[in-house]
Amino acid sequence: MELRRASSTTFDGLPVHGGTEVVPLLRAGLLRTDTLVDIRGVVPRDIAPGRIGAGATLAQLECDPGIPEVLREACRLAASPQLRNMGSLAGNLLQSTRCWYWRLGWPCRLHRVANGYGDECFARDGEHREHAIFANDYCASAHPSDVAAALLALDARLRTTARELPVAELYRLPTEADRRTTTLEPGEVILEVTFDECDQSVYLKAMERKRWAFPLVGVAAARRGAKTRVALAGVAPVPWLLSGELDSATPLPRNAYKVDVARALVKRARATIGA
Amino acid sequence: MARLIRTEKEVEGRYEEVWLVVEEDSLDQWPAGPREIVGRDAVRVDGRERATGQAVYTADLAKPGMLHTAVLRSPHPRARVARIDLAPALAMPGVHAAIGPGDIEQLTSDCSFQGEAIAAVCADSLAHARTALRAIVCEFEVLEPLLDPDEAVRQGSLLGEARERSRGDYERGLAEADVVVEAEFRTQVVLHNSMETHQAVVEWMADGVEVHISTQYIWGIRDAVAQGLALPPDKVRIVCHYMGGGFGSKNSPDDYTFIAAELAKRTNRPVKCALTRREENTAAGNRNATIQRLTVGARSDGTLTALGGEFVNAVGWDGWSSGTEGPMQMLYACPNVKTTTYGAKLNLPPMKAFRAPGFVEGTFGLEALLDELATKLDLDPLELRRRNHTEATPEGNEYSGKNLLECYRRAEPHWERRHEVRARSTETVKRGVGMASQIWYGGGGPPSYAWIRVGSDGRATVVTAMQDSGTGTKTAMAQIAAEELGIPLEHVTVTLGDSDRGPYAAISAGSSTTPSMGPAVRAAAADARGQIEDIAEQRGLKGAPVHEVVDVLEDSQILGKGARGPNPTGMQVLTFGVQVAEVAVDIETGEVWVERIAAVHDVGRVINPLGASSQIEGGIIQGIGHTLSEERLHDPATGRLLTTTLDAYKLPTIADVPEIVSELIDEPDTHLTNLGSKGLGEPPIIPTAAAIANAIRDATGADVRRLPISREEMLRALREAETRQKEKVGAPAGV
Repeated sequence: MELRRASSTTFDGLPVHGGTEVVPLLRAGLLRTDTLVDIRGVVPRDIAPGRIGAGATLAQLECDPGIPEVLREACRLAASPQLRNMGSLAGNLLQSTRCWYWRLGWPCRLHRVANGYGDECFARDGEHREHAIFANDYCASAHPSDVAAALLALDARLRTTARELPVAELYRLPTEADRRTTTLEPGEVILEVTFDECDQSVYLKAMERKRWAFPLVGVAAARRGAKTRVALAGVAPVPWLLSGELDSATPLPRNAYKVDVARALVKRARATIGA
Repeated sequence: MARLIRTEKEVEGRYEEVWLVVEEDSLDQWPAGPREIVGRDAVRVDGRERATGQAVYTADLAKPGMLHTAVLRSPHPRARVARIDLAPALAMPGVHAAIGPGDIEQLTSDCSFQGEAIAAVCADSLAHARTALRAIVCEFEVLEPLLDPDEAVRQGSLLGEARERSRGDYERGLAEADVVVEAEFRTQVVLHNSMETHQAVVEWMADGVEVHISTQYIWGIRDAVAQGLALPPDKVRIVCHYMGGGFGSKNSPDDYTFIAAELAKRTNRPVKCALTRREENTAAGNRNATIQRLTVGARSDGTLTALGGEFVNAVGWDGWSSGTEGPMQMLYACPNVKTTTYGAKLNLPPMKAFRAPGFVEGTFGLEALLDELATKLDLDPLELRRRNHTEATPEGNEYSGKNLLECYRRAEPHWERRHEVRARSTETVKRGVGMASQIWYGGGGPPSYAWIRVGSDGRATVVTAMQDSGTGTKTAMAQIAAEELGIPLEHVTVTLGDSDRGPYAAISAGSSTTPSMGPAVRAAAADARGQIEDIAEQRGLKGAPVHEVVDVLEDSQILGKGARGPNPTGMQVLTFGVQVAEVAVDIETGEVWVERIAAVHDVGRVINPLGASSQIEGGIIQGIGHTLSEERLHDPATGRLLTTTLDAYKLPTIADVPEIVSELIDEPDTHLTNLGSKGLGEPPIIPTAAAIANAIRDATGADVRRLPISREEMLRALREAETRQKEKVGAPAGV
């Protein structure tokens, strides 16, 4: 494998920024490439009010007082200090699920096999305590990004090398016809995140230990005037914008507890920001 | 005088009859309490070299020309290798040799658990070896695995016979009870996850073989390697100077040592075979899961009349059925006890000893059950335990030393905090305090030897082929020698870790290193001291410091030798203790966190209080992981492991560590050796899970019965408690 440094945002090969996700996936054989392209020099990383370069690290964001609480906390509660020093904002948005079947390369619906894709979700009938409680009928994977939930609650927009889009439109639920979980096209690079100021916001996270764990449930909430947006991490194959209450969840036999956890955290989040 | 005896030897609660040559010294124990050096804090004598990276662990070892190994392990819990072709791997760059099923006993085509070794490749770099491994063509015929422990018991798929242990009349005891509590407890599989993965470097020399290995038992490895390679044991040299954790999982040479030996033989090069982190999470052993169906009967005053249990150890494909019933059999004075223990043989990776195997699991069940009883009887849990205290073993033998009541007394101030802790509860966060007792072995035993040499500079070197498994043993041995010789600690060097340099030393397992080795080191130092005193007399320097007595010796040396004497006959040597945990439970989200644990343990004389507190802290932290977050999972249908990396298998982090208060009784066991010291490696992890579970009950009224206490288990237990409460409130008056 060859490692190159990108001189512009147009390049051939697999982009890598902090490497905290790409490198483990390469080592596990879940990503393959002949050329790895270091894009740290070409992706903006500066932070201005309502505008963040996609290459900013989580460590930069967690201690910047200009960043809304929900995003700052989402960064602070993610991963470990070492990982946050390396991991970038956009890289965090694009990370793959922690579903153990997927990470171990089981031939599931999200993995390519000899002639197409796998045709099973092993988690649904198997070990799924960390898995999705919404939109889990085709694939029960849970999206692990705290940061994505925070940006979804902020109703943030992304600027890429090809377009501008609401953060919600970066993600898609996998279907029989199209197994992808993002709408990012090959060669497309996220450059910048923008969002409007909000009055109050908060991020609450349930983990299996105090630190350095992906969210069992992450609850991001942001209020502008009388309008509050609540988004959840770790509950669906994509970051999940909560519309209505949690009663619409469709938990699996061993993860119904996540509905209780989410309900409690949503109530607290709303109370915290005066929603 | 040397004496040949037939005696029982205990390691990790397993007894065997052995012949022993024992030498008894005539040393009296030192008086209780801190001495000049022993009993006082000492920083690790090798702390600097460990912290600065100068210490060469097996993982750091790079011999000239050394080859690296990758091992093909079965991805299936049960499968037959239908076809295997090593030739493509041999054609890959950098590859020197490849071996497969039939080449050595440790490689098989008949796989009975995931991680069982099938083939291995060695190459000039690890990357080359791994790439070559992927080129091996291996086709499997996948077979149906046996995964359910209860089903294994029904089918008679057992490791060894079912173990029936009984005293008194259990049925009558139940009939005499005013209250009977029954409960089923389940504990999970947890992994040792040593920082240094299992590994060895093997090199064939002109005359024999040299094995560098991360191990807890240099001499056991020597014998096993000699047997496996059909060599005389004295042609096998085992080296382990530093060790990055074992916790019971590094007592044997295992597949990687024999794979390295075979590849080294074929290539005439030194060969390293090191488990990857994923292999470490698969094939390095584990604490097996258990199912415990327990019953306790008691009179209304709390006197136990009956204890009974069916214990299923989900052992895996190999290993042994550990003493999960031990605490129930040994901890209390109950006259009627009946237990049956099964070791279920399953298509899952074999267990290995893991820090008090069986007793950690069994104490969780027993001590949680006892608190459920205390709740039913409306009795103080500490008082309930006092009422069932026993001064002699339930079989009527003497303990060599037992200060459990003193542990309880010392725990009182911590226990008293429960009123104040509970009062800090809020609407959603409930706080409580729980306790649990600890019983375990830890007396060590013979044989174990040490030599010592004192030069004319008055400095001493202790020579013994023992290992420091990372516990600080080297420091403790230096303290004992310095104390006995009457010289400063920094004038003692301890050399260990090499079977070619020094006499036989005991295994570092079963909390036995200090109680086995310490007396031998003291005896050796006393032997040297006696000679120095003779010289002092001849020089008219009686009572003078050692360096003044020996300063004319030039190249002459004082040589001392010492041996570990026998354990007291007809007595049980055990360790005791109690832990008090303070927890907080978020009753809406099921989050549990531990805020404080006070540990009071009785392990005889304490050599190094600083090292001892570090052992207690380590045990409790490992116990918190066991209780709250760690669990090895397998897919229920195929049995394939799902948690093979450290993001999925959740060890506790420093943020999960509470305030830990450690106290030691520090009372020498007057019947045990010239030191009166017992081991402390295992005791601190034993009561932690039960103390936390009992604190959760105190805080919330919920009975958690399954480890780890995940949010799922916590919320389930809370719901159950709520239902029980409603039923109680809703019940007609007088019922």
